Amino acid sequence: MKIAVPRMGNLSLIIRDLARRFDLETLETPPFSEQNMEIGSALAPEFACLPLKAVLGSFVQVLEMGADTLVTGGGHGPCRFGYYGEIQKRILEREGRRFRMVVLEPPSVSIKAFHDSIRTLLPRQRVSLPALLKELSQTLSKVVVFDKLEKRALALRGLEAEPGAVDAALEEAQAIVARAYTRKEIEEARLEAEARFMQLPIESGRPHLKVGLVGEIFVVLEPFFNFDIDRWLGRRGAVVERSVNIADTVFPMGRNPVFGYTEHAVARAADPYLTHEVGGDGLLTVGASVIFARRGFDAIVHFLPFTCMPEVIAKGVLSRVSSELGIPILSLSIDEQTGRAGVETRLEALLDLAWSNKSKRDFAADYASAGA
Amino acid sequence: MRVGIPRAMLFHHYGEYWRHFLENLGVEAVVSEATTGDMITAGAVHADNETCLPVKVFSGHMLWLKERVDAVLVPRVISEQYGTVACPKFMGLPDLTRSLDPDLPPVLSPSIHLGDRRYLWAREWYSVSRALGGTRLGSASAVAELLYGLEKHRVQAITQPQADGMKIGVAGHLYNVHDHRASLGLLDRVRGMGATPITVDQVLPSRARMHAATLSRKIFWGYESRLAGAVLYWSRTRSVSGILFVTSFACGPGSLVGALLEDQLGREGSVPLMTITLDEHSAEAGLVTRLEAFIDMLKRSKRTAGGQFAPGGAPGGTG
Repeated sequence: MKIAVPRMGNLSLIIRDLARRFDLETLETPPFSEQNMEIGSALAPEFACLPLKAVLGSFVQVLEMGADTLVTGGGHGPCRFGYYGEIQKRILEREGRRFRMVVLEPPSVSIKAFHDSIRTLLPRQRVSLPALLKELSQTLSKVVVFDKLEKRALALRGLEAEPGAVDAALEEAQAIVARAYTRKEIEEARLEAEARFMQLPIESGRPHLKVGLVGEIFVVLEPFFNFDIDRWLGRRGAVVERSVNIADTVFPMGRNPVFGYTEHAVARAADPYLTHEVGGDGLLTVGASVIFARRGFDAIVHFLPFTCMPEVIAKGVLSRVSSELGIPILSLSIDEQTGRAGVETRLEALLDLAWSNKSKRDFAADYASAGA
Repeated sequence: MRVGIPRAMLFHHYGEYWRHFLENLGVEAVVSEATTGDMITAGAVHADNETCLPVKVFSGHMLWLKERVDAVLVPRVISEQYGTVACPKFMGLPDLTRSLDPDLPPVLSPSIHLGDRRYLWAREWYSVSRALGGTRLGSASAVAELLYGLEKHRVQAITQPQADGMKIGVAGHLYNVHDHRASLGLLDRVRGMGATPITVDQVLPSRARMHAATLSRKIFWGYESRLAGAVLYWSRTRSVSGILFVTSFACGPGSLVGALLEDQLGREGSVPLMTITLDEHSAEAGLVTRLEAFIDMLKRSKRTAGGQFAPGGAPGGTG
């Protein structure tokens, strides 16, 4: 059984960890590229959203590399993601491919469906329930550490004294954590990895912008689709904070350990603007934008796949957030034809606007203090 | 006090009950006029450019109501059937409406959550009716009547007059199909070509549910599940000669359910299926040509093969 899982941010690190724990044979999915998008958009329904097309393209590639088991996530809506697996399976079968599709249901569907879908990959005879729970909880704590390291890198990249220092530190830190196995080792690795960040030369006095990154998880996490926004903003001296993380999505009870605000707090922040769950990351996008605005961020960048249902609602609502809270918000909808130049021009305009707002504010503050 | 109801989106499902609810409270209900081209243009300009056609039509109706009423009723539909969810657009509609235009009258947004067997959402309707000046007893009876109506709507199909001749199944959202302007008069055109259109609301929900349950993965959107079940029922019983799948540009559930149905019908061999995608730029000529071609094809195949198609060899034209 050769298992392939789609790519998304740190997911490949997590899959490697799970493969080691349960002794599974996995195949590294090739990174997203123009070629794979072409395959995906040719096969997928025309109005399906970008992640479906992208993942379909990489499934075709990985099947050609010899994978026989495709793993993807499920769900119970209302986001289209919950139906991806079924559509992709039908399309690939129509193409005459032979494979097994395993749809991992999230625990929110039902604990039983979650357990059953895991058991299709890891039968009872191979892994006992206590062992399964133990290993999964250890992986979960590792996922949280990975995402916390990335959060730190996002915050530091704009202030690094020498270009590339943060990326190098992040890579080293991820390697340190990836080696850890037990919970104790993971905790030690976390301390060691964080120490690695402590040694970085940082110019904390440098004037900088604070930018919030919100949106649909797939396009926010995948550098190919957001034109490597993390590093792009970092190079321009922006301190970035992100609302979506894999750890927050999989962590039980809506605790969001990496973002730092519980689902309840997010819903309360979104309250006057969006008052009900709309599936996907829609509510989180609005809530996080309000939180960022209240914390005095200078700008917010909102990424969404073209026609994404939850995010289109968030986008409509964000225009009201932007005008009422006075924060520039740029919504960028991404599809297979989005060009780098167009996105970068708009991002540069956003940063210029944020700088001019900031200098106006600083000037007003100086003037007030000088007058007093 | 005048409360507006936009004649768009789920008005085509539940509108009569909403109007009745307001009238029971002694409030004047103002339902916007039938969609016009100007409304669609105004809606497309004001609403977010990525939303689907029905939301743009809805926005046009909201702008029409803006000057004419003191409040608008935009219920938040969370589910239409037990064990299903509604499209996210229905869940976020009141919030989208509020950010459409700062000068809009207050938006009343009680929930409809028919999947919730405890009916806790009925309280929201009660508070709305109290806020509209209903007495305790009057509000309670208005809410009870609304619940009764919605519940009846959930299990009943609208009855159709018996018709001879060719029947065409029109599978699409009611707010697209029953909106004369948005669908470019699709139903009337089908009638004009000598065929009888059958819409999804004419299929018994229980029958549709039975057929939808045969799919390999449950469709979790309430209306789409019913639609897919109706299409499978028509196709399996050969009760229609052909099926038109009507969807709108950027319809999220439609994009996947359309692909699913094409695949499923292709596998089991079905009556011909044609997909029609509506948007605010749709031109009549293109629609008429395709409809004529489709119906001519059905008529010809009926003459030659007695209306039967070989399984698997069905000319399932799409585009």
